[in-house]
Amino acid sequence: MRMGETALVLLLMGVMIVVGNTIGYHYPITDAIIGYLIIMAVTLLGMGLAKIMPIKLPMVFWISLIALLATSPISPYSGVITAYTSKVDFLALITPILAYAGLSVGKDLAMFKKMSWRIVVVALTVYTGTFICATAIAQIMLRLEGII
Amino acid sequence: MSILKDWKIHIAAFIIVVICELIGARKVQVGSGVLLFLPMLYAMVLGGIVSWPRLKLINVQQMNAASTILSLTTFILVAKLGLIIGPSLVKVVQSGLALSVQELGHFLGTVILGLPLAIFLGLGREAIGATFSIDREPNIAIIAEKYGIDSSEGRGVMSVYICGTLFGAVWLGLLAGYLSALNIFHPYALAMGAGVGSGSMMAAASGAIIAVFPEQKNEILMYAGASNLLTTIIGIYFCLFVSLPITEYLYKILTPIIGKNKANEQANGGVTK
Repeated sequence: MRMGETALVLLLMGVMIVVGNTIGYHYPITDAIIGYLIIMAVTLLGMGLAKIMPIKLPMVFWISLIALLATSPISPYSGVITAYTSKVDFLALITPILAYAGLSVGKDLAMFKKMSWRIVVVALTVYTGTFICATAIAQIMLRLEGII
Repeated sequence: MSILKDWKIHIAAFIIVVICELIGARKVQVGSGVLLFLPMLYAMVLGGIVSWPRLKLINVQQMNAASTILSLTTFILVAKLGLIIGPSLVKVVQSGLALSVQELGHFLGTVILGLPLAIFLGLGREAIGATFSIDREPNIAIIAEKYGIDSSEGRGVMSVYICGTLFGAVWLGLLAGYLSALNIFHPYALAMGAGVGSGSMMAAASGAIIAVFPEQKNEILMYAGASNLLTTIIGIYFCLFVSLPITEYLYKILTPIIGKNKANEQANGGVTK
């Protein structure tokens, strides 16, 4: 997808996110708009970097890197960026994402209907396993290190 | 602007978001835990209803557009998490050991719990594709390259992928909310556990943990985000070089012990033909 189109899609998402953010989490709307625009700029910069960098690393890596640098103690604008972007609630970002996830459900239903109940049970166990095993190990490690 | 042309789904998504945020979060006591219903959960369900093929409200092309937008918007999530982690980068590095070691739980937890069950339920080599990882897009590519997507292993990975797309976020949200309310695990440990390597699942799980421990919101997002980042980036290599060989090996050992219908393994798999 071209960058221009990506930016338009992200702007459209922004409208939904900011509206949801205002209804559900009561943040001031102008701060949230500025905050979202910053988040969007970071995302686009990361995507751009992933395209031009000679080392092939996942896009997630470059977006994270720019985001981390933007608010880390070494960034001169860390305070301002944090102040605005914290006005966009994390949960307000998820609602539209899962709305789109829901809207795409229909395309997988035909294949899902052909699947046996066994694989559905296995799938839920797989997701349970990854979450619980990691949580248990984290609990033990954090205890050992005295962080919790 | 082919994606924006499907204006119907954007209007639908917008209305869904407004309705869900107006309803807000709800809690239901179940035993000693709590089932948490967050706006994102209603959004997924409402979206699913609109997208139900029999209702004919939106067509397959629009569903595909929704799916493309979904993958784009998870990048927004990644950026937001990075921005949250930034100020406490030092704190994250201090927990680096715990963060790295718990990744083993992410990578091997799928096999430890999933593989014995899959073999016990009579799945054949589908069990390998189904349980070697959380079966998101990069993992499908690994299986497709090694066995082909039409192989038993390929059917296994695709089946779990679809289940994950349909129920992954909802399931992990409910599970994480329930476990949090039980008060067995520290919120930081739960947060690290939530970084399963899929944006929407991580978001659903950490959102549920936050709803139970609202005063530790920033730390929860910080650990969940850092863990998710590690799982995503290291995961591809770990799955290819460690998880998959281990799953293959365990499959060979476990099948004679707990498997049934060994002779019939092909016919008994995930997708009935």
